[in-house]
Amino acid sequence: MFHAFDNLAPNKALGRADWMALLSRAPPDLLECALANHLIAAPQWLRAPETGLMMVQGRAGATGERFNLGEVTVTRCALRMSGAKLDAALVGVAYVLGRSHRRARLAAVADALLQDGAQHALLETTLLSPIRKHLALQSKQRHARAQTTKVEFFTVAREAGDAGDDEENQ
Amino acid sequence: MTPHDLSALGAGFSNEALGSQAVFRTALQSMSHPGRCINLDHDAQVPKSGHPASAALLLALLDADCTLWLSPKLAHSDAAVWLHFHTGCRLVDDFTQAQFAWVAAGDTSPALDTFAQGTDAFPDQSATCVLDVLALQSSGHDAADWTLTGPGISGSTVLKAEGLAPDFLTQWAANHARFPRGVDVFLTTRQQVASLPRTTHIELARGN
Repeated sequence: MFHAFDNLAPNKALGRADWMALLSRAPPDLLECALANHLIAAPQWLRAPETGLMMVQGRAGATGERFNLGEVTVTRCALRMSGAKLDAALVGVAYVLGRSHRRARLAAVADALLQDGAQHALLETTLLSPIRKHLALQSKQRHARAQTTKVEFFTVAREAGDAGDDEENQ
Repeated sequence: MTPHDLSALGAGFSNEALGSQAVFRTALQSMSHPGRCINLDHDAQVPKSGHPASAALLLALLDADCTLWLSPKLAHSDAAVWLHFHTGCRLVDDFTQAQFAWVAAGDTSPALDTFAQGTDAFPDQSATCVLDVLALQSSGHDAADWTLTGPGISGSTVLKAEGLAPDFLTQWAANHARFPRGVDVFLTTRQQVASLPRTTHIELARGN
């Protein structure tokens, strides 16, 4: 299924999958700053951070047949915020590219907090919008860099007239 | 309860490797001494449904290649979510397709001969059943309900299990007769486990 996470319709509420997609690409410094207050107590691990390989599948033009593109390193974890009762729904899950356990933990903490209605609005401004800005900037920079390598292909049009025919006749 | 609802989920072994090795060691110990009741120590936050010992045993035995069938009380319970989350096992609706089966106390187990029996060439492809029972006793005068003989038992031993199907002994005799095919059974109380590998012969104890 092809899902454009970054092109959220303006009237659609931000779903959990949307913010998890943002968190998985967030730079660690941004997460560290925004979550500093929530990182003091050790979380209760449901699944301690673990690193493994995942097969990434692609479709040419997002419509073709599925094919295996290659394997990527992924770190995942699941945690319950400390202090939360067993039945409280503050369970955070994160899947992050790379091998950084710290980064997976940060993303999972953020995921847990974002599910809490009271914290959501605050984190939206202190965490999610900076991440969006960062990703937009990053994508703009990449686009600009790619543009510098652009090559203009053009075909020299044949001159009008009978010149061509004359050459062939000679 | 959906498979994606993690709100009531407990943690697995605090140390995945050592925790599952310790439980696996207990399972081996139990299988090599059929009928002996062994305490199953673990530190996993087991689900509310089903016996803790069964949950910890399956947590150690299962992995992502295994298929598991759960009896009606356990299917769609927190136990199913817990095992699926921590082991990645595949939950199946058809018990004939399962490599592992877990039957809660009070649920009727399907007949032993309906589970996967393996073949003469590949007897390892048979199912392993974990049956929750109300009580187990393997020593003392009261325990003299069954007399067990076979590999791993010096002479004979006694065992009493409460809460099994009334015709369990008949089913077991047929299961034993199918050797090398047949299922292996773990009987579990809340803390203890006793094993009945397919090699074990069970008779009603004298005086019964």
